[in-house]
This record gives sequence, C-alpha cells and structure tokens, in this order.
Amino acid sequence: MAAIIETSGLTRSYGDICALKPLDLCVPEGEWLTVMGHSGSGKSTLLNLLGGLDRPTGGSIQVRGTDLASLSEDGLARFRRDCVGIIFQQHHLIPYLTALENVMMSQYFHSVPDEAEARHALERVGLGHRLKNRPGELSGGEQQRVCIARAIINSPRLLLGDEPTGNLDHKSTTMVMELLRELRDEDRFSIVMVTHNQEVAAWGDRTIHMDDGCLVREERIKAC
Amino acid sequence: MTALKVIPQLLCWAVLVPVMSRSLTGMATAVTAAAGFVVGVAGENLLLAYVGGELPFRPLRGVCGVIFLLLWGASVWALYRRGSKGSDAEAVSSPGPLAAGLAASATGVLAGALTLCRLAPLDGGAVRLVPYLSLACAGAVLALAATFPARYLPERLAPRGIPLLALVVSALMVMACSVQRLDIFSPLSMEVMKFIHDFVHQFFESMLIPDHPFFRSDVWGYIGLLFSDKVGLWGGLALWYLPVLFIALALRLERLPSVAHIRQGAARRKLLASFIHERRLRLVAPLFALVLLTGAAYQSRFPATEYWDPKPVEVTATPAGQIVIPKKGEMDLEDGKLHKFSYSQGGRQARFFVMLTPAGQLVTTLDACAICQPEGYGQAGNAVICYYCKTLIPLETVGKPGGCNPVPVPCSVKGDAVVIDAMTLLNTWESTVQVTAHGKGMGK
Repeated sequence: MAAIIETSGLTRSYGDICALKPLDLCVPEGEWLTVMGHSGSGKSTLLNLLGGLDRPTGGSIQVRGTDLASLSEDGLARFRRDCVGIIFQQHHLIPYLTALENVMMSQYFHSVPDEAEARHALERVGLGHRLKNRPGELSGGEQQRVCIARAIINSPRLLLGDEPTGNLDHKSTTMVMELLRELRDEDRFSIVMVTHNQEVAAWGDRTIHMDDGCLVREERIKAC
Repeated sequence: MTALKVIPQLLCWAVLVPVMSRSLTGMATAVTAAAGFVVGVAGENLLLAYVGGELPFRPLRGVCGVIFLLLWGASVWALYRRGSKGSDAEAVSSPGPLAAGLAASATGVLAGALTLCRLAPLDGGAVRLVPYLSLACAGAVLALAATFPARYLPERLAPRGIPLLALVVSALMVMACSVQRLDIFSPLSMEVMKFIHDFVHQFFESMLIPDHPFFRSDVWGYIGLLFSDKVGLWGGLALWYLPVLFIALALRLERLPSVAHIRQGAARRKLLASFIHERRLRLVAPLFALVLLTGAAYQSRFPATEYWDPKPVEVTATPAGQIVIPKKGEMDLEDGKLHKFSYSQGGRQARFFVMLTPAGQLVTTLDACAICQPEGYGQAGNAVICYYCKTLIPLETVGKPGGCNPVPVPCSVKGDAVVIDAMTLLNTWESTVQVTAHGKGMGK
C-alpha cells in the first residue's frame, strides 16, 4: 500500500535542545498510527511537523509525496487547508460561534461555506440536535465531536489528533474512538494520534513509543 | 513643457497596450497598435496643417461620442445577458487575428490622434516637426516595449470582451477629456442639466403642478434643487459611470458553472471557490476603468489650459449716460484679445467685454450668456470659452446672439472710442442673464 507519510532522518531542534532525533517513519494510506511516550518525548513535535505547523531542522518529511520542508509559508498553509485535519485536546472551538458556525468556519478558510454540508457533518458525528448550541453549552465529549466534524469537513487524507481524549471520561472516550473508527472506515483517511492512554492506543493499527526524541519501540496491534 | 502636456495620454497608452496585447494576440497586437498610433498622429497633424480651424477636431469628438455610446450599448447588453449560459463575455473573448489587429490599430489611430490634439496650438495650425516626430516615436516605442510587461501580467487579470472594451474606452476618454475641444464630459453634463431644466419647466407649463400660491416656500426650495448647477454635474457623472458599473454588475451577477457533478463536498466547494475568485478578478478591469473615467471627468472639470482672462476694469458713464472706452488707451482694444469691463450704477451692475473679431469688427458683449450662470468667458487662441459649460465659441461668432454665445450689446465706434449706452447695458444684463441665489447676477 502507498505511504501517506514518509520521513527520513527527520530532526527538530530548539537551540541546543534536540526535541526530535533523526527519525525514519513510514505510514501507509489508511493506517491508524498512535504515538505514545512520556511528556517531552517529542510526540507533539512530531505531530506539528506532520501537520505542517512547524518546520524540521534536518531530514525530509513527505506527506502524500509533497516535501513539506521545501514548501513556502503559503504552500504550507495550502497543505494544511487541503490535506490535514487536526483535533486538539483543548478543542479550540470559537466560543461565540455555534457548533454549526464553527464547522462552517473551517469550510470558509478552505473554500466557501456550505451550510447543508456542515449540517450533514454534524449529523454524522451525532450532533444533529446541537447545531445551534455554542461550545459552552456542550459537554466535553460533544465539543470533541464538533472538533471531529470540523476536522473532517474538508475531506483531509490525514487526520492528526493531539491527545483528543485527554480530558474526556471513559464513556466519552469510547464514544469518540468509535466515531473516529467509523469515519475512518467510511472515508478511508489515515490517522496519526498522540496519546498517553494505553486503552486509547489499542484502537489504532500500530503504535510507536517515543522517548527523548527517539523512536524506541513499535508494535502492531492489528493488520492494516 | 510640451512633453509634460502629453504625459497623461502616454501613461494611458502605456497601460492600454500591454493589456490589449495580453488579452488579444500578443506581439502582433502591439505592432499593429504602434503602427496605428503613428498613423493617427500623422493623419491628425495633416488635418491640422491643411484643413485648420475646428474641422480636424469634430470627427474625433464624434468618434469619442460614438465609442462611449458603444460602451453604453455593450454594458446594457452585458447586463441583459448576465445570467445566460455561454454569455457574451465568452463569445467575444477570443477574437480572430484579423479582428484583434483591426481593434488594436483602430485604438492606436484614435489614441495617436487624440494625443496629438493635446499638442495642437490654440490658435490653429499643425504641431511643429520636433514635438510631432517625438510623439510618434514615443507612442510607437511605448507600444512595442509593452510586450515586455505584458508577459508578466497574470493571465487571469487580462480582461476580455466587454470589460476590455470598458478599459479601452475609459483610457481613450482620459486622452480626449484633457483636450478642451474633444472633451465630451462637459457637454454631457450640460445636456443633462438642460434636459432636467426643460423637463421640470414643461412639467410646470403643462399645469401638472399648481403654481406658487399652493406651495409653501420650502417646497419650492426643494424643487429649486433641480435647477441648481450641481444637477448637471451629478447627472453627467451618473451617465459617465453607469456603463462601467453595469459591466461590473453583470460580471458580479454572472452565473457560476455548475459543480453539482462533483460528489465530494470539499472538492466541490474548492472548485466553486476558484470560480468565485476568478469572477472577482475579472472585476479588476471595470474598477480600473472607473478610476480612468474619474480622471477624465476631473480633467474636464479642471482643465489644465490657461486662458486669457483679464480682471474687469471699472468704467463710468458720462452725464449723458454713455460709456466711452478709447480704442488705444491703457489697453489696445484692437489687439485681438478679450478686454473685460464692469459698470455699476445705483446698486445695478453689469460685466462686459470688448474685442476685435477676425472680421475686423469691434464687438461688445456681456461677459455672460443667456443660458448659463454668469461665470464669464476666457480666451483660448481663436475661441472664447464659457467657464460654466466649457463650450468653445469661435471668435468669428462672437457678437452674434444665440446658444452659449456671449449676449451682444449694441455699441458704436465714434472716432477713436467705443461708445455704449449705460442704461441699455444694465437692462440687457438684467433681462437676459440667469440670476441665481449664488450668482446674484455678477457671477464672479
């Protein structure tokens, strides 16, 4: 199967601190990869590099054949807009916009808003009845589902999750994970998800463990 | 100084040719435009040299009027067709090489002729050899050099069809309006004002609106707005801008291609966004045309030409009520220039001028006409110009009544002096000049 992500000797340093040591990684299309490790092990650095939010200081990083290191700022913005969806632990929803408007905002920055499509995306994540509610009026799990709808609305080929269930209870976590799996099976996108939680990691196809900026261990949970 | 006079025209030309060559057929367009420019300059100079007078300007002014009307027609057509599939813009977008060459050369001829008129001496005759040849070379070189910047003009910004027409006509209007005798904006404003005046007048005349006793004075104040001098300006500006605004509106309302066949929402929206972006870029040409038209209107309202306009000299009447002005006193009345005087008696005032016509006759006229507000006249070569409506009156017709001609005042030449009856002068002023709240009869 073709690789959606290929890194070779990927490094990221902040001054003297090497947050990511030379990393070779390959993620096939449609795979769900989870990244585990302690705080400061380089998980979020890797995620930021994969999402085009940061630039590597060494090595190469190719997503769908595009070398992210060679892209200009505008090119990176286009890459993020077209290829990537990101789910954050803190949701980062706009508090004064409704759930529907938050999803439409993502459409606006991508191309043009389409209310019917945004409504359909929220219905897919089970929030058809919460369209007009603002984030403050939604539970943590519901907010995270709005984030998922926002992340998938532009049909990205790569979904990145930075501890998406970090502040959810067990029931909400299961619900969100089931939803992600269902959407992944339907839309055939790849997922790279950072987590501390072993149970959450078990939802993926493969897990890599990181420590001090290095990939230390890799385990396949199920065949892709 | 001579070179500075044609800078606006050459700038317009320098903008026009790259746009045309990008939108039409490239290098060939620039070459034909350059050839057209040279032909236009040469042709107009020949007319000025061998025909002289007002005649070389009339066909040019007529052509300017016609292409402005053409723009009006095209804009209405564009607005009418805005929603239809494969609309006019597409149909006109790819003219053949012959049509493109014809359009470029015609534009070049017109631009060359208009630019040369800016250099034409006010008292008639051809442009001298050096400025004439320099202008022809500058126009041709600019056109040929335009192929270089044209390569860097983004394809999506190159207007086609009616927006290109709007841009070309607007640039030609800038070239025309800087020459007093080719200006069409001032006559347009005047016609609008006359139409509104006549319309309101006829409306009252036909008794559709009852006369004064039934109206309160403030209502009349509002009706009076229709007779103010700004009506012509704003009406003229509306007619001036509307065609380009119609074209912009037609582009804005143009139906986008269907994207319903694309199943994936994001891809569908992205294609739709690209169509919207493209439509937005096509608005650049009409917006630039609006800027050019504004420049043309400004040049028309505030012409750079300097007129001979002496300060009126106060005169008095003899006990017999005669104003006697010596022909060769402080000033020479027979020097072919306009000489202004003012006379006042018991709170009544009148302003007039005396000049020698080309026929050798000394004439006395009011410094006002019977139509416009009395803003007076200035002299530009072999014509006088009404400051209010910017109409040029040939010196041959000064002293004759009618239209915007200065109102003649009977006078006689006795020995070495011109004699005018003071009472006749005051009565003529008061009976014929448009007295307004602003002008109070004395204009200046």
